[in-house]
Amino acid sequence: MPSTRTRRGASRGAPMLRLRIGFVLIAVVLSFFGARLVQLQGVDPRSYAAMAAAEGAVRVPLQAERGDILDRNGIPLADSIKGKMVVADPELTTDQAPEMARLLSDRLSIDYFKTLTALRGRAEGSKFEYVARRVPSTLASDTVAELAEAGYEGVSLRDDPIRDYPAGDVAANLIGYMGTDEPLGGFERTFDKQLAGTDGEATWQSSSSKGVRIPLRESTLKAAQNGAPLRTTIDRDLQWFTQKVLAQAVQQYRAESGSAIVMDTRTGEVLALADVPTFDANKPTESPEADLGSRAMSDTYEPGSVQKVLTASALIDAGKAYPRQKFRVPPNLARQDRVIGDWFDHGNIRLTLAGIIAQSSNIGTVLAADAFSPPELVAYLQRFGLGQKTDIGVRGETQGILTPGDAMTSQTKDRVAFGQSLSVNVAQMAAAVNTVANGGVRVSPSLISGSAVTDDGLTVGTDVATRTRVISKQAARATAKMMEKVVHPEDGVAPRAQVPGYLVAGKTGTAQRVAADGTGYDGSTTVSFGGFAPADDARFTVYVVVHAPRVDGGGGSIAGPVFSRIMGYVLGRYGVEPTNGRPSRLPVEW
Amino acid sequence: MSSPALQPRTRVTRIAQEAVDRARLTVVPRVRTRAPRVPFVTLVSLVLVAGIVGLLLFNTSMQQASFAASSLETQADTLAAREQTLRMELDELRNPQRVAMEAQEMGMVIPSAPVFLDLETGRTIGVRTPATRENAIQLLPPPPPKPAVLAPEPTYIEVPATTTTTDDVQSASGDQQAREKKNKNKHQRQQGRKNRNR
Repeated sequence: MPSTRTRRGASRGAPMLRLRIGFVLIAVVLSFFGARLVQLQGVDPRSYAAMAAAEGAVRVPLQAERGDILDRNGIPLADSIKGKMVVADPELTTDQAPEMARLLSDRLSIDYFKTLTALRGRAEGSKFEYVARRVPSTLASDTVAELAEAGYEGVSLRDDPIRDYPAGDVAANLIGYMGTDEPLGGFERTFDKQLAGTDGEATWQSSSSKGVRIPLRESTLKAAQNGAPLRTTIDRDLQWFTQKVLAQAVQQYRAESGSAIVMDTRTGEVLALADVPTFDANKPTESPEADLGSRAMSDTYEPGSVQKVLTASALIDAGKAYPRQKFRVPPNLARQDRVIGDWFDHGNIRLTLAGIIAQSSNIGTVLAADAFSPPELVAYLQRFGLGQKTDIGVRGETQGILTPGDAMTSQTKDRVAFGQSLSVNVAQMAAAVNTVANGGVRVSPSLISGSAVTDDGLTVGTDVATRTRVISKQAARATAKMMEKVVHPEDGVAPRAQVPGYLVAGKTGTAQRVAADGTGYDGSTTVSFGGFAPADDARFTVYVVVHAPRVDGGGGSIAGPVFSRIMGYVLGRYGVEPTNGRPSRLPVEW
Repeated sequence: MSSPALQPRTRVTRIAQEAVDRARLTVVPRVRTRAPRVPFVTLVSLVLVAGIVGLLLFNTSMQQASFAASSLETQADTLAAREQTLRMELDELRNPQRVAMEAQEMGMVIPSAPVFLDLETGRTIGVRTPATRENAIQLLPPPPPKPAVLAPEPTYIEVPATTTTTDDVQSASGDQQAREKKNKNKHQRQQGRKNRNR
C-alpha cells in the first residue's frame, strides 16, 4: 500500500504542498471578496444604497391645479385643465421624422416644419425636444397612442397644465394672462399666491417600465395643494355686453380708447369694468402690449363736467346752495389769469343751479362754487375719493391728481369746480357719482368677492369695503333731482342717455385732453357720461368714458347712448322694474 | 458492615437477599412509544407548503392589485382629463359671444329698454319700445384695414374728350359688353334674392 500511495503522490506533488497551494488560492479569492466588501460598506456605503434605491424608483411630481377665476355667479373666466406636453427623443425619432411629423402636425394642429425640426433634434446629440406644449390631455394621449400603433417610438407625454379663458376677451384686461410658466398680468399675477397652489410629489419602487408599484416597498406621497379659486364681482354676460357696446361706440366715433364701469349702487360691487381696445387672453401676444393692462385704472384723465355733480352736491350739503337758487350767467367770466367760457354761446342767461347742471354751464358752476374756499372744496372731493387709490385690486392703479387744499389757488379751484386741473381714474369717478346715487354714503368699489390678498400684501374685496358718509341724504336726493334734468328732452343736454320708462339721473362730461408730453391741451377731448337709475331708488351706477373721438360730439351724444344701452340691459338683467316715481320738476331757468 | 450482623439469620438473609435482588434497580430499557410518524410529517409539510403557497398567492394578489390600481389610476386620469376637456368645450359653447352670434343670426336683438310682464294681471310694466335692427350690436370687430399694397388708391386717368377714333369705338363696344355683363349679374342677383325671399 505505501508504495502505491507514494507513486500516486509523486505524480501530484506532496499533499502538504497541494494543501497550501489550495489555501493560498482560496485566500486570494476571499481577499478579493473582502476588499470588495470594504469598498461597498466602508468607503462610500450611502451612494451605493442610493444607487440601489434609484434602481426602479419612480418619482412623479404632482402638479397643483391653478385656481379658477370666477365671475359673480361662479362661471369660470379663467380655468385650468389637465394638459400634456409632447416631447421627443430625437435619437429615436430622427429616422422616421417626416412620417411622425406629418401625423403629429395633423392631429395637434401644429406647424409641420417646426415639428420636423424638433423630431430631428435642434442640437447635435439632443435627447429631449419639445414638440408641442399645452395640448389637451385626451388629444395628446390619443395621438401618442396612434403613433405607438403605427410603430413609431420616441415620443412621450408629460404633465403640462393648460390655462384656458373660455370667454376669450371678456374681462381680459382685469384677469390678465399667463406666460409660458408664470402669470404676466392682471389678477393672474396680483393673486398668484392664492391661485398657484403648491406642487406635491409621489415616489415608489417599481419593477416594470410602466411604473407599477411593488407592494409593501417604500412609497411616499405628498399631495399637491390645489390653488384656491378667486371669485370676482364681475357678471360675465354683462361684462361682455358692456365691452361690445363700448367697442362699437369707440369704433363708430373713431376714438382712441374707451372705458365703462357698472357698479351696484348699494354694495359698491363692480359688475363690469370694460376697456377698449382689449385683447384675447388666450392669445395675448397678438395684441399690442399697451392694450394688455386696464386703462380704466391706470390712465388718468380730466373728468370734465361730470365733476360738477360733486361740486353741486357738496355745495348743497354745506348749505351754500340749493337747486332752485338763481344765478345770472354772463356770456363769459373773466377771472384773474384767463376767461372762462361755456360750451354753448349765450348772452346773459338766468339759470337755476338745476339749470346750470342740466345745461352744463361752466360759468354757472364757478359762480356757485365761489361760496367755497379751496380747502373746503378739496376736503369734500377727497371724501368723494378723488386723489386716492380705490385699492380695488387692479395692478398699476393710478391715484389721480388732486392739488391739496392749502396749495390750491382760487383760479385752480375755479377749474376744479367744473372738472379741469384735476385727474381721476374711472373707478374713482364712478365711486364718487355712486355716492350721490347711494344717498350720500360712499361705498368703496370692489372687484373681488369676499377678500383676497394682493402681491403687495394688501387685502381687497367686498369684505373690506368701507362706507363713509360724504354728503347728507337730502343733499344727495336734491343732486339726483338736478341730474334728472340732464337727460330731459328739452331742458337737458343728453336726452339720448334716457332709458325709456325709467327715471335716469346723469351728467355729461367733455374735457380737453392733456397732451402726452404734458405741455397742455392737445385739442382732443375726453367725453363721458356718468349716471344712475332708477333716480329715486338707485340700483346701478354706470359710467362711460370715451377718449379722443375723431368725430365731433360731446358726452351727451357719444357716451350718452352707450350709457343708455348698458343701463337698459343691466336693469332688465337684474329685474329692476320702473319705480313710477314723479320726474323732477325743478325749473332750469327763471 | 452489615454482613456480620446478618450471619445468624441465614433464612432471613436469603429472603432478604431475594428481596434485595428483587429491589435492585436495573436500567429499564427505554420504552419507545412508536407514535406513527407519517401524520406529523404530513402535517408539518402541509403547513409549510400551505404557508409558502399562501405567501405566494398573497404576493401575487398584491401584485395583481397593484397592477389593477395603476391601471385604474390611469383610467381615472384619462377620465378626469376627458371631463375637463368636455367642460372646456361646454364653457366655450356658453361663451356669450357665441350665443349672441347665433341669436343674432336667428334675428334676435337685445332690446334697448326692458319691459316686464306681470303674469297675474297680464299687463306690461315699462315702456314698450320696438326692438329693431338698429338695436343689434356689432359682434365682430371690423376687419383690419388692408395695407396700402393690397388696397391701392384708385388711379384716375383723365381722358381728353377728342374726336372719335377707331380706338374709341373699340372701347365703347367694350363698355357695352361690360354693361351687358353687369345687367346679367344684376338679373342673377335679383333671382337670388327672390329665391331667398321664398
